[in-house]
Amino acid sequence: MTRLRVNGEPLALDLDPMTPLVDLLRRDLGLTGAKAVCREGFCGACTVHVDGEPRLSCLTPVGLLEGAEITTIEGLGRNATSSDDLAEGPGEALPTPLQRAMLEEDAVQCGMCFPGMVMALAPVLEAAPGMDRQAIREAMTGNLCRCTGYERILDAALRALRPEADRKEAAR
Amino acid sequence: MPQALSRAAEPRTLLTPATIPAALEAQAAGARLLAGGTWLMRAPLRGETLSGAFASLHGIAALQRLDLTPEAAEIGAAVSHTRLAQALAGIPDLAPLALAAGASANPGVRRAASLGGNLCAQAFPAADLACALLALEADVDLERLSGPGRLPLAEFLARREALLPGALVAGVRIARRPGRVGAHARLPLRAAGDYPVAIVSLAAGVADGRLLRPVIAVGSVEPVARRWPELEAALEGAPLDPAAGAEIARGLLDGFSPREGVDAPGWYRVEVLPALVRRALAALAALAPEGAP
Repeated sequence: MTRLRVNGEPLALDLDPMTPLVDLLRRDLGLTGAKAVCREGFCGACTVHVDGEPRLSCLTPVGLLEGAEITTIEGLGRNATSSDDLAEGPGEALPTPLQRAMLEEDAVQCGMCFPGMVMALAPVLEAAPGMDRQAIREAMTGNLCRCTGYERILDAALRALRPEADRKEAAR
Repeated sequence: MPQALSRAAEPRTLLTPATIPAALEAQAAGARLLAGGTWLMRAPLRGETLSGAFASLHGIAALQRLDLTPEAAEIGAAVSHTRLAQALAGIPDLAPLALAAGASANPGVRRAASLGGNLCAQAFPAADLACALLALEADVDLERLSGPGRLPLAEFLARREALLPGALVAGVRIARRPGRVGAHARLPLRAAGDYPVAIVSLAAGVADGRLLRPVIAVGSVEPVARRWPELEAALEGAPLDPAAGAEIARGLLDGFSPREGVDAPGWYRVEVLPALVRRALAALAALAPEGAP
């Protein structure tokens, strides 16, 4: 039996311990934000947080998550308290500043890579708010976007970090 | 009350031994060792079946050690690439390993992938750490039920298929040599976030602008990383001149038996080696106290 929490909800799991976390999330819990695309750790679309750290859920066996706190894109920002949140109703996750910046920069294209992009970037930006464009680009090397929408995603990440930043930097 | 999920159990178990002897006993009973999971969890993509018992190494504190002294660097097998890169950043004599750990694959893989896994994944030719550790002349610490042992990495890589079924890689030991500097040059197909087509790691002393006892390793070109003894001999005492070193390397390519791959043909892996030698020597020149002549 593996006990863990997903988006704050306690779970007790009696299933194959080598099940990739992404399959637990998508198949058993219906949390389809994380995408099982490459299943080899190279696209980043399955990125979730395990105890606050980005983790490739396709390569993470559930049996190693005893006591862990898992956060998926569905749970990101759930504790936000901003008055201008974009929640659609009770229980809806409230967008974080990064998610809002993505909306405002119109950075989302097909959406396949996007939850992984946000989950990979969110804690990195929080840990290093002084990051410049190149540092953010390097932090995203494990997240592939086949719509090639990287530049607007970078714009949004910079906007999330520095809402009042020089827009010329974002435009570069 | 927590929500309980249950399903018909597949015939797999995951053990979490707390000690090396317990892990070895699990291995002797048939369990496969699981470290970072970045290789083992991809087994289905390689057409391999993941069944039976597994023993996770995550809970073994001894495998997490990272001890740096003036004499040696001792690094446990379960240390992740990310932790390794952070711990070794800015140490000139250990630069090949720091650069390899910090550039391999992508940030998500680096957070999970372990040093031991990099050395034990036998079918993985593009192992950055293996190449860097060869250049640093590292030894591998093995644990067996019969007792511990230490052997040079090159010997371990040559014999690991026979050694690993009854052994656990506990870590590596790098004897630190004052005055030596190192570099790690790799060529991924994308600028970052990819496996390299070819790797050159080197370590050397530098005196009066000349290379002293250069140790050069090549990875991802052949199925297993190895030293490049012909180039080491040719560069002994040679000026630290990146362009000249690359030309010397170009004349010493015949000894490679490159692997073919979907990412690159064998001839290409060899063809890029002189450029990687040039880059590695340039990086070395930037680190060396006396720089290039």
